[in-house]
Amino acid sequence: MILNQRNHLKNKSRAQLNSLSLFLKVFEILMFVLLVLVNLLPFIWGAITSLKSSREVLSFPPKLWGFKLSTEHYARVFADTFFVGIRNSLMYAIFAIVIGVVVGMMAAYALRRLRFRGKRVIFILILSCIPLSSGSAALVVPNYTFFTKLGMINTWYILPLIYLGYNLPMAIWVLMSGMEMVPVELDEAAKMDGAGRWYILFRIIFPVMLPSIASAALFIFLGAWNEYVVSSVLVSRSSLYPIQVSIYNYMGYYGVEWGPLTAAATAAVIPTIIVFAMLGRMMISGLTAGAVKD
Amino acid sequence: MTPSLVIIFLVLILPLFFAVYCSVFNAKAMSFDKFVGLDNFIKVLTNDIYRRSLYKTFLISGASLVISLVLGIAFALWTHKYGGFIAFFIQMLVLIPWVTSQVVGAMLWKWLLNEDVGLINYVIGKLGGSRLHFFSNETVAMGMLIFVIAWRTIGYAMVNVLAGLKGIPQAVEEAAIIDGSNRWQKLIYIRLPMVRTPILISTIVIALSNINNLIVPLALTGGGPGTATSVITIQIYRLGFTNLQFGLSSALSLILFAVTIILSIGYVRVMKYDT
Repeated sequence: MILNQRNHLKNKSRAQLNSLSLFLKVFEILMFVLLVLVNLLPFIWGAITSLKSSREVLSFPPKLWGFKLSTEHYARVFADTFFVGIRNSLMYAIFAIVIGVVVGMMAAYALRRLRFRGKRVIFILILSCIPLSSGSAALVVPNYTFFTKLGMINTWYILPLIYLGYNLPMAIWVLMSGMEMVPVELDEAAKMDGAGRWYILFRIIFPVMLPSIASAALFIFLGAWNEYVVSSVLVSRSSLYPIQVSIYNYMGYYGVEWGPLTAAATAAVIPTIIVFAMLGRMMISGLTAGAVKD
Repeated sequence: MTPSLVIIFLVLILPLFFAVYCSVFNAKAMSFDKFVGLDNFIKVLTNDIYRRSLYKTFLISGASLVISLVLGIAFALWTHKYGGFIAFFIQMLVLIPWVTSQVVGAMLWKWLLNEDVGLINYVIGKLGGSRLHFFSNETVAMGMLIFVIAWRTIGYAMVNVLAGLKGIPQAVEEAAIIDGSNRWQKLIYIRLPMVRTPILISTIVIALSNINNLIVPLALTGGGPGTATSVITIQIYRLGFTNLQFGLSSALSLILFAVTIILSIGYVRVMKYDT
């Protein structure tokens, strides 16, 4: 009898436990759905809006589906300065990536493998500049006045130079973490064979740390592709506009043109997402280097 | 080494020294003719408009920071439980706002939150609520700005904390369980202290990024309604590029930069590296 009762109690508590864990499971799934929604909804809704006709964009209630597909906004945006913006930003980014990787490799090599005076100070300086790449409104006015005085605004090279400056510290940091993994013995063996420093750096070390180089390039690309504020004040000729400025211009003085704006935004985000999806894992390890020691 | 230093000095460091020079002049557009000493600093620091802006900046940045840290840590603990592909997928998902352009992110939220034809107001209406005035009510506008800034940074915090959690040696957690600690004790005494560094770094980087954020306020609320969300970066931008007062805006930039530099120093101190 007592035993029976105890068993009964046990079963009851197990049932309670089961319903609790079921509740938790449901809660977790709801959280997951919410997470997907909050992170993707702006982009999905933007993409949907960009495919509506001008008349339907502002219609209420907004239609999630069942509207007539129209590519008019894309046609307009690509005929506009937006296409110039894409081309410019690609050129600027490539320029910044190539120079950034080469000089970043040199810096990483010097900081990892060479001994020289002031090394620690230089390292600390570079390290302290890393957070600037995540936000630098404090630099907008200084950059503008400085480069205006030097007569460098409205030139084809000013924006790549700026992107390079903002993202080089992070690139050096990522390359340094990558170079740490390359055994010094490799250098030494090459040196024994009579190889010079340049040969060692770009022919021996470079090929074995390609993942880090890709990660550094990715950070420079994202920094260049996404920068808006400084770009918007340093170039005022539409032939030099980078992509974000072209997008922002659809905000217009006479109200926002949502159709072209969402089309431009969607077209600008797609390459970012593709690159990020391919190199995400590397990017995460780059972001967290320094927070955790491996 | 030298080319990197030249670039960093040219883009990041020399302009700041030039800003110090600009800040002691009375400037109209780009002519710096009348030396005024520290007047510009005194002017901006005693002006109520800028003091209010500074206060708003810290309020908005601070609130977003707390939200993204709390959610970032929560999501990290949650996904750590599963590990593997699920954790990776969720990390990628919440990092999307961090890697995509802020102009695009802010604009798309502005579109979703559009007061007249926006999707969110439509859904609220369907659920029986009344339309929210996202950008014409001061408090709501501030809340939305805080939300979008936090939305952008949760992924950064989460990824860092998750990396820290993965680094906790299995033996330590097992020892805690054998010693009879329950889930909460394990969290408070083992896990959180062991991810102290990632949390600190996230705090510093996100705080710096929020305080320096110009794009999201500019694109989302434009500082409005009225001056409800005009944070310091908006004031710097308008003072410089609308009013062409480059002396005053340089002074204000340097004040913002002073805060930035303090955070940068903190960053260097908590980073783990060896030279």
